[in-house]
Amino acid sequence: MSHLRLVPRAAPQVTLDDACLGAFQQELAYVYRSFRRLGTSPSEVEDLAQDLFLALRRSWSEYDPNRPLRPYLFGFAFRIAAADQRKRKREVAFGIVEVDDNGPGPEEELQSKQARAVVLTALSRIPLPRRAVLVMHELDDVPVAEVASVLSIPLFTVYSRLRKARRELQAGIRRLLREAGGE
Amino acid sequence: MIWSPAKLSPDVRLLLDRERPIAVLPAAARARALSRARSALAAGVATWSQPSGAPSAVRWAAAAGLACVATVAAGAVAYRLGVRAGPTAPLVAASPATESPAPHWSAGAEPIVNLLAARVLAATPARSGAGAVRVELRLLEQARAAVAREDFLQALQLLTEHARRFRTGRLVEEREALRVKSLASLGRRTEARRAAVDFEAKFPRSPLLPAVSQILDSAP
Repeated sequence: MSHLRLVPRAAPQVTLDDACLGAFQQELAYVYRSFRRLGTSPSEVEDLAQDLFLALRRSWSEYDPNRPLRPYLFGFAFRIAAADQRKRKREVAFGIVEVDDNGPGPEEELQSKQARAVVLTALSRIPLPRRAVLVMHELDDVPVAEVASVLSIPLFTVYSRLRKARRELQAGIRRLLREAGGE
Repeated sequence: MIWSPAKLSPDVRLLLDRERPIAVLPAAARARALSRARSALAAGVATWSQPSGAPSAVRWAAAAGLACVATVAAGAVAYRLGVRAGPTAPLVAASPATESPAPHWSAGAEPIVNLLAARVLAATPARSGAGAVRVELRLLEQARAAVAREDFLQALQLLTEHARRFRTGRLVEEREALRVKSLASLGRRTEARRAAVDFEAKFPRSPLLPAVSQILDSAP
């Protein structure tokens, strides 16, 4: 059995390749950030993003271009991050999240980086299924109905996860700020 | 009726507002990701039947084009130096015209060998002449192409030649992954297993490791 096979391409497939690569390219930064928000470490993001691209390409013919791209990509990111987490059998939850991104501007950089680090750390302490709902709805502004559709869960479940995740985020951020202030 | 979930407090919302904007990716990371994606397309990953969400299994896709990953900076260097090798260029998937933030790609796909050259140039000390660089590059690219067309005996010959002449090159990791693939595909399981064990010992953190392990499972 060989995994390496150069298959001659029919014209429609080239088009699918290009369209899929174009979409990946357009939302690459979003994909990377989504993996970070889902708890993937900076050193693993690149590989998981490649996994996402391959999964995306295989499903690309089913993608409806009338639907928003980001939630669709987030669905892949969530499943891949969850599978990776299961594989590693370790929860990233209780570590301190590294700050690895560029701030928006020099004057705000420090403050913004700190804020981002606090948010990522607090997020990382929320179990992944609830974290995914929270990130989609609160950071990506995806309506709850779309969240339910992308993550293939009932609307009721979205609401209950969201409610719990909000509490957890709120408590997590307060605790982090208290710890930071107490030192 | 579904109840309204608890609202976030204003200070937490402020923090979330900081996290909401998506920062621009560094150019090198971006170029690397797109290069890997193109390599995977060139290797025909779209034709595989693989359930989504199985990361370790699909890693080999990246490995298929494994020798052609390069940073954008190194790519620019290679381009300036004009390292060229024509015969393998069609292996690269065409670069879509939609790309804007990475100008190095906008002129169309560079030959795959340029990307390989970039990596070698980035890793090779100045004492290596341009001729040696081209030879190492070409050897590995020929081996990769042989694997791609399932001519594993030819691939092994080329890999052995590469190992003889460039024992400590920076493309050793790719070379040894291709060796495992070739041996396993030829049904030489014992040798393949030994090569895979050596690979793991030598490159315990390699992103190719899951793919190398999987080769053994799926070999005939």
